[in-house]
Amino acid sequence: MRTKFILALGVLGLAIAGCSKNNDSTKTDTTTQTTLEQNVLTDFAANLANPNYQDIQAKAQIMNTAITTFNATPTDANLEAIRVAWKNTRGAWESCEGFLFGPVEDFNYDPTMDDWPVNKADLDAVLASNNALQVADIDQLGTTLKGFHAIEYIIFGVGSTQKAANVSARDKVYLASLGESLYNTTTQLRNSWDPASGNYTAEVVKAGKGSTTFTTRQAVFLALVGSMADICNEVASEKMQTPLAAQDSTLDESQFSHNSVTDFKNNITGVLNAYKCQYPGAASGHSLSELVTSKNASLDNKIQSQINAAIASFNGITTTYEKAIYSQQNQIKTVQAAINTLKATIEGDLENFVQTNIKD
Amino acid sequence: MKKLQIIGLLTIVVFALVKCQKSAVFPADQYDNQLSGGSATAFDATSKSFGNAFENLSSYDEYVHEVGDRVFSQSFVTAPNPIHSGLGPIFNNTSCASCHHNDGIGLPTAGDAQSSLLMRISLPGTDANGGPVAVPGYGLQVQDKAAFCKQPEAKVNIAYTYQTYSFDDGDTYELRAPTYTLTNLYTPISGTYLLSPRLAPPMIGLGLLEAVPESEIVANADPNDANGDGIAGKANYVYDVTTKKVQLGRFGWKANTASILTQVATAFNQDMGLTSSILPVESSYGQSQYDNLQDDPELPDTTLNAVKFYAQTLAVPARRNVTDATIKRGQQLFILGKCVNCHKQTLTTGVNVAFPAVSNQVIHPYSDMLVHNMGAGLADNRPDFKADGQSWRTAPLWGLGLYQIVNNPGYYLHDGRARTVVEAIMWHDGEAATSKAYFSHLSKSDRDAVLKFLNSL
Repeated sequence: MRTKFILALGVLGLAIAGCSKNNDSTKTDTTTQTTLEQNVLTDFAANLANPNYQDIQAKAQIMNTAITTFNATPTDANLEAIRVAWKNTRGAWESCEGFLFGPVEDFNYDPTMDDWPVNKADLDAVLASNNALQVADIDQLGTTLKGFHAIEYIIFGVGSTQKAANVSARDKVYLASLGESLYNTTTQLRNSWDPASGNYTAEVVKAGKGSTTFTTRQAVFLALVGSMADICNEVASEKMQTPLAAQDSTLDESQFSHNSVTDFKNNITGVLNAYKCQYPGAASGHSLSELVTSKNASLDNKIQSQINAAIASFNGITTTYEKAIYSQQNQIKTVQAAINTLKATIEGDLENFVQTNIKD
Repeated sequence: MKKLQIIGLLTIVVFALVKCQKSAVFPADQYDNQLSGGSATAFDATSKSFGNAFENLSSYDEYVHEVGDRVFSQSFVTAPNPIHSGLGPIFNNTSCASCHHNDGIGLPTAGDAQSSLLMRISLPGTDANGGPVAVPGYGLQVQDKAAFCKQPEAKVNIAYTYQTYSFDDGDTYELRAPTYTLTNLYTPISGTYLLSPRLAPPMIGLGLLEAVPESEIVANADPNDANGDGIAGKANYVYDVTTKKVQLGRFGWKANTASILTQVATAFNQDMGLTSSILPVESSYGQSQYDNLQDDPELPDTTLNAVKFYAQTLAVPARRNVTDATIKRGQQLFILGKCVNCHKQTLTTGVNVAFPAVSNQVIHPYSDMLVHNMGAGLADNRPDFKADGQSWRTAPLWGLGLYQIVNNPGYYLHDGRARTVVEAIMWHDGEAATSKAYFSHLSKSDRDAVLKFLNSL
């Protein structure tokens, strides 16, 4: 659930600002701020979004290589190499869910790669059929028969019990095409932002200056802040809460790999990345954090400490999420509370900050 | 609580602006202009602006909304499966959100993973309840997808012809007229059958529309055009599968569904192949695709009700820039063009002490909830209870200006044939012919003002 009800003070600020005139000193401030706003947008695309999407693609490629190696030499060690590569790709993907707006939702790359749950009945039927299982065939299948979780099902198995010896010849063909299909989607996603290709980057960078998607800079900042709040909500109130409330581990997202806690943590790390404009391996850039600091340093401190507290709170869960919903409920509730606190600050203080301070 | 906050907020805004503007610019009767959904209005103009819950829910209700949200957004899979079991065997899509992207309007394609257009089908005539006659082997809806190893009922083909037209001032616009055909039928259909395309509509404000008293809706009906204004709105009365009674139809492009619960249960059953206590028989029953599993109802009542509650408690985005002079002029032109005779600006929900969130709210859906003759161009020629083959329900316009953001690029009308709001206006005919002509006569700057107004909704 998202709650985005404007705060009275923000509007009051806007309303009053609307009838006051800038003097010379505020004009200088405005110029500085406008430059910073622009830098934040430019760097968000250049130093976070593009590098993150490139990284997902690169890691999907590594996973494909691991699948090829395994299919040629199907040892448990080579199966483990696919699992590691899967988790790495998954990490980069979950991280980008901290700012889930733009082509990833407009072109449905998200459900194409990350639909859930796996359609096991149909998956078994596909494997038992004479379908050629080539990439073109995979592309014709429903989204619950491909993507991260179909791959997860094959390489980890129910209860993470899969063994190399149990991966059939048909499984291998399917796995190779699933990996290729996933890679193709990561390529489309990467290209959608690439200035040399789909160039959604320009929509962000030119917000308020010709962007058709964002007619104001405020709109893109609100989209960014909104997506940060969304993932907090999705993690705390949906992904974590649903299996916990139902006491049913089959409702857990990455249940075959037991990777859910890492998934959740990477989602919130994505929020930190979005706020600080940072991504591993990429240069850091001008950030929303910097923009907030320029006007309200204590708010920046509050947001940073809440994000860090939420990320650190996951350390309290010391077992798989499938077990934790039964044995570590208080620890789960601590994490949920930390994320909900962060979400409230993002939807309240931070969104209000954007409404009040970013006026172009 | 929230209502008080919003009223307080508006008071502050008005007070602040009054300090530097003349009070006459803000007549008291327009204070709530931007609160399209009354207290269930969300101040959000992002791509997620159709996904906000009512603010004033209890924590338990919030939880139920969350559960519904999760079910709404996640895929169902072929039975048997430990969770989300029961998709198909024939279906139109695998999750609610696959059609209602971001809780918004769908994509007018058929057969793809994210396609949101489905075809209703029937034989000529009416059934025992006054509704459309099911086609043997197909029922009342074409399911164009199927579980692996099962055959979809048909493939839906969409072809467009494009034609350029002119406004009175010479500016041109293009309309694309669709033709729908079925191929790859899994079994032949004997004789003539009727098809009607339906695009997944936005999910916002449904709980408010359900709470508008029947008497208020019916009071606006003028089936014989007694007042001679050329507009003859009719209430659709439909057989409701939940109550087993004939009731006022409120939802769907032809107002052929009486309640959100029935709408949700029908969508699960027909669009996704999931049985529930309300519709416990598979859409494929009696057909070669039927799964013969003794697993009905596949959807627990708690899940059905959570999704129903989710749909019932999605807030309406607030209008933007309501004080903009051009937008205000556009609104006046919209009124002068008599667009508001059907796209009624204001309705009031009934008092409901059991559900305060929707109780006694002044709302601005820009719809009269009635069906109107919209002319031959838009006609599906497939009657649906009291809505004849040229009739469509007045589509609520709240949220219209956000379609492009929520569902980039955004489509309009019952089958998404209109790619812009201008095209949607220029498809109007029948009872709306005069209003369309009015718009066409306007100067470009006035047309733009109307569009800017519509974009503020």
